[in-house]
Amino acid sequence: MRVLVVEDEKKTASFVRKALQAEGFAVDVCHNGDNALAAARATPFDGIVLDIMLPGRDGLSVLRQLRERKNTTPVLLLSARGEVNERVEGLDAGADDYLPKPFELTELVARVRALTRRSGENKSTVLRVADLTLDTVTHLAQRGGTEIELTAREYRLLEFLMRSPGRLCGRMMILEKVWDYDFDPGTNLVDVYIRRLREKIDANFQPKLLHTVRGAGYLLKEQP
Amino acid sequence: MTIRTRLSLWYAAVMFVALMVMGVLLYYQLVIEPRQHTQKHPERHHTEQAINQDIFEDVTNIVMWCAVPAVLLSIGGGWWLMKKSLAPVASLTQATKKISAYNLSERLPRAGNGDELDRLTEVFNGMLARLEDSFNRTREFTLHASHELKTPLTVLCGETETVLRDESLAPAERERAASQLDELHRLARIVDGLTLLARADAGQVTLTLELVQFDELVRDNFGDAQILAEPQGIQVELAGCEEATVRGDRHRLRQLLLNLADNAVKYNQPSGQVMISLRHTGDTAEFTIANTGPGIPPEVLPRVFDRFYRGDAAHSNVVDGCGLGLSIVQWIVSAHHGTIKIESVPSKITTVTVRLPLAQENKASL
Repeated sequence: MRVLVVEDEKKTASFVRKALQAEGFAVDVCHNGDNALAAARATPFDGIVLDIMLPGRDGLSVLRQLRERKNTTPVLLLSARGEVNERVEGLDAGADDYLPKPFELTELVARVRALTRRSGENKSTVLRVADLTLDTVTHLAQRGGTEIELTAREYRLLEFLMRSPGRLCGRMMILEKVWDYDFDPGTNLVDVYIRRLREKIDANFQPKLLHTVRGAGYLLKEQP
Repeated sequence: MTIRTRLSLWYAAVMFVALMVMGVLLYYQLVIEPRQHTQKHPERHHTEQAINQDIFEDVTNIVMWCAVPAVLLSIGGGWWLMKKSLAPVASLTQATKKISAYNLSERLPRAGNGDELDRLTEVFNGMLARLEDSFNRTREFTLHASHELKTPLTVLCGETETVLRDESLAPAERERAASQLDELHRLARIVDGLTLLARADAGQVTLTLELVQFDELVRDNFGDAQILAEPQGIQVELAGCEEATVRGDRHRLRQLLLNLADNAVKYNQPSGQVMISLRHTGDTAEFTIANTGPGIPPEVLPRVFDRFYRGDAAHSNVVDGCGLGLSIVQWIVSAHHGTIKIESVPSKITTVTVRLPLAQENKASL
């Protein structure tokens, strides 16, 4: 998987590159829009992380140029302006996702991962992690043959986590996918729900599946 | 005493003095002078005295029947004239009353005739323009400052997270980095809130309006509130949830509800209570959320919506909010043409009431 990072702020570009490389992506970095267009023409990327505010040609203009050239590479927009309308404008211009700055690195990595394997997402109706299963049709959760009762919200949270097992999921992404919040409410809602979910799926079972990674997010996997 | 009354009284006084002078002069001309003339010719004394008496009566009559009505007429006319010429002052007062920080772009209407009041209006409008300019500068400053803060914040968050990703990190180091990251996220929320409010002040935030089943949002929020309250053993009760459709921005309304629910839990006491209800009264939806927390002292109440206002120093230790929650709540309510009110009986009950106009039945108007 090869990703192009277009970001003029050198330090940001550097830690984004490191984080993506740590996830096994090959990463190219450009610091301005024209170079990005040239790079995207020369190499077929699996995804592009594009900052909107760039010197010279800005991110939205790069994006429009790409789409005009029938380049369908998935694009994740980054923006420091964080305006609601900007998200809409970006998605209209052909972006696949949008992340306001300051973002959590976990968030960015999770989104890039989601973008680059959109078609490869686990589509099966029964999700499985170790002896935990979740039927997405009947909404039935079971662990080791014991049925687990879930509220609607808990179900959505568990489904979201089980669709990317072994991967870190950031708070903002959970809020967006499970609660449909496009803002950071500044509450510990996610932590509290995770705690409840943990009581239901982990308390009476071994091994523990649901883990919290301090400062990063949550993940569901068999090994600690 | 208004200028108009004062001027009219002065006018009446001047008229009265003029009348007196006129009467005295008339009397002198017609009575005193002929009398002096008579003393020089005493033989005509007797008849002249009778004539003088007649003339005195005539003068009195003239003054009573002509001059007094004339004076009354001019006082009335003066009153009317005063009213007419001071009318622009009244309209100026009315227009000035309406000016606040939110409509500084409005200007007072000018007569355009170049008189004193017109010049005053011009000066006033000039002052408004300068005020507006300085308000805009402050707004822009906040907006630019929060944008400028975002880049270093992104770098700080990113680099701290990169540190945390290092598996070989010692537990103490990890704890320190994670705690730094928590504070950075809090800083990021403050900057986000500031940006939102600065943009809202400048009228740059557009709401995505649609018909929203407000009762559904309230029920949904009730579920979240229960979960938020559970760790502290707080009971949450939904006292009523009547159907209510409002025209608004779904995300913002959810933000409003979650923020209020979060406050009701945060500022509560262990094993306290939170009561939520939604009623439908006339053409408004009335949402109330009450909690049994320590409450808000009366002197603090008017300031709870102020940005970064911390009424009670003790609160800021217990609760780690960003200090902008209620300001954002207030903005969301007013952007939806609603009202918000907080009442508090300290150490008993604190109630927040939000009233939002119900959507018109006519859905085609969307």
